[in-house]
Amino acid sequence: MKLNNIKFKYILMIVMPLIFMFSSLFIGRYPISFSAIMKVLYMKISGVDFNIPDVFVSVIWDIRVPRAILGALVGGSLAISGAALQGLFHNPLVDSGILGVSSGAGFGAALAIVLFNNVFLIYIFSFGFSILAVFMSYMIGRIYKTAPNVMLVLGGVVVSSVFSALISFLKYVADPYNQLPTIVFWLMGSLAAADYGDVLIAAIPILIGTTGLIAIRWRINVLSMGDKEARSLGINTTVNKGIIIVCTTLATAGAVSVCGIIGWVGLVIPHIGRMIVGNDNKILIPVSLSLGACFLILIDNISRIITGSELPLSILTALIGGPFYIYLLKKTKGGSW
Amino acid sequence: MDIIKIKNLTFSYDKQTIIRDINLTVEKGQAIFLLGSNGCGKTTLLDCILGLNKLDNGSVLIKGNNIKDLKPLEIAKNIAYVPQSYNLTFPYKVIDVVLMGRTPYISPFSSPSKEDVYIAEESLQIVGMSKYKDRIFTNLSGGEGQLVMLARALAQKTDVIVMDEPTSHLDFKHELMILETITNLVKDRNITIIMATHYPNQVFYFENNNINTTVLMLDKGKIEVMGNAMEVLIEENIKKVFDVNSKILSYRDLNNKSLNYIVPLNTYMDDKERVV
Repeated sequence: MKLNNIKFKYILMIVMPLIFMFSSLFIGRYPISFSAIMKVLYMKISGVDFNIPDVFVSVIWDIRVPRAILGALVGGSLAISGAALQGLFHNPLVDSGILGVSSGAGFGAALAIVLFNNVFLIYIFSFGFSILAVFMSYMIGRIYKTAPNVMLVLGGVVVSSVFSALISFLKYVADPYNQLPTIVFWLMGSLAAADYGDVLIAAIPILIGTTGLIAIRWRINVLSMGDKEARSLGINTTVNKGIIIVCTTLATAGAVSVCGIIGWVGLVIPHIGRMIVGNDNKILIPVSLSLGACFLILIDNISRIITGSELPLSILTALIGGPFYIYLLKKTKGGSW
Repeated sequence: MDIIKIKNLTFSYDKQTIIRDINLTVEKGQAIFLLGSNGCGKTTLLDCILGLNKLDNGSVLIKGNNIKDLKPLEIAKNIAYVPQSYNLTFPYKVIDVVLMGRTPYISPFSSPSKEDVYIAEESLQIVGMSKYKDRIFTNLSGGEGQLVMLARALAQKTDVIVMDEPTSHLDFKHELMILETITNLVKDRNITIIMATHYPNQVFYFENNNINTTVLMLDKGKIEVMGNAMEVLIEENIKKVFDVNSKILSYRDLNNKSLNYIVPLNTYMDDKERVV
């Protein structure tokens, strides 16, 4: 690979999500002309008043812009977490929810819906329970000290199923006309209610998590060789694993707690990245971030044009991502698997 | 100078003692071989030398420092490890695998520098694998993969390389290639080798190539016999440790140098069994 080629790839990684975010401002059910959208943006940035109807300003600046930003943050953080955890557990079937983040978040949200039905408390509960779920998985993994990776994954599976059962229980006792649909929709993920508050709340853990993962990305290569080799190569596996688990948990919890559970991104986007740039985590980690951001914005755009009442994201991530994945598999012959 | 000094090392796992009271001094440029049947504690002893196990008793000193006070990074700057086998999940490129050997020299939040890449390429060249640089590691044959692992150990720039049965699943030619490469490392670079092996003839290979070898024959976690190959690898000891009857053959090569080989004969330990 030539140096220019690498630089070009890095530039593309940064520019592509920006293009996707920008283009998503033009998509929606409320018809606004191209020039009006440009004027709104210019007005907001420079402060010059173009005398544009308030409703235009509000649709663009208060709805579409935060939604695009949140989509990028959520998609990127799910994908980067998935890639990092696949490397850490040297298992390509792992996704961002493997340690129970998603089911913990789901339970927290369902509990808050049943008890309080307050948006802010839904956020707090889902974030709190997703952290708790990972902590429980980690403690289960520590019980048996010689095979921590397998035990961590098993711990995650156990904790996930416990929380899934608890979610089912909450669905069962929830008020079927009001609370149950809210829970069901939350569990399928949506960016429809995005505002700047959500962006701000999600951005803090997501930025901490993704920054940490990007910083430590090369070491994921070494950790993916397994504990014994990683240690003989000079890595304190306990500390490094801890950093990666904390970062992925923060990033994923930040994402799912504002927009519900979005499946598929954390599993398949890293694989699409592997097909395009190979398996070196030095480049795969940032590529997954970028691809995840683009992918979720794209899915969200499709979800708001396809029907009047927006389709939940988890439905579309799999329906659109699946065929796309197969197409790429055919095109690249799966990279080097 | 003593690079590694092992004093009264005892290690047990789940209250079962695996290694008992081992004493060993390793000097620079020496080749140490661990021989013994499956389950005799070879791998466990190597793990203790790599600092992976918490000892019950005794100590491992690396250049005078107790290994339990050293960080993984400091151990890795002194001792590299070549595993017996590897099941890599992700298809990394060969160069990416060798670069991992640079880990102890790369700070936690950065990636390999140009100099690291240069050292990795140089290491590949030493083992004769330069042209495999951009190949996918998981597509290599066992022998090629093991040479890459040796290159990774070299990139780690250590005085000692620990190897756990590095030739155990290699074909005839690749086994010899690995032994040749290791011999050259000891001769040209004064690297110290600590190697577990199932094949006593590998020890003779090093001995025949004028390398200062020490053999530890382990039985149930204890050193049964220790010394240089000529003293230790005798028919009586092979019988005692492996339950194998054997014959040591020697012949003189063109330079009138005596070369030794060991030939296993049978596993019949008394005449009654022979009837079966």
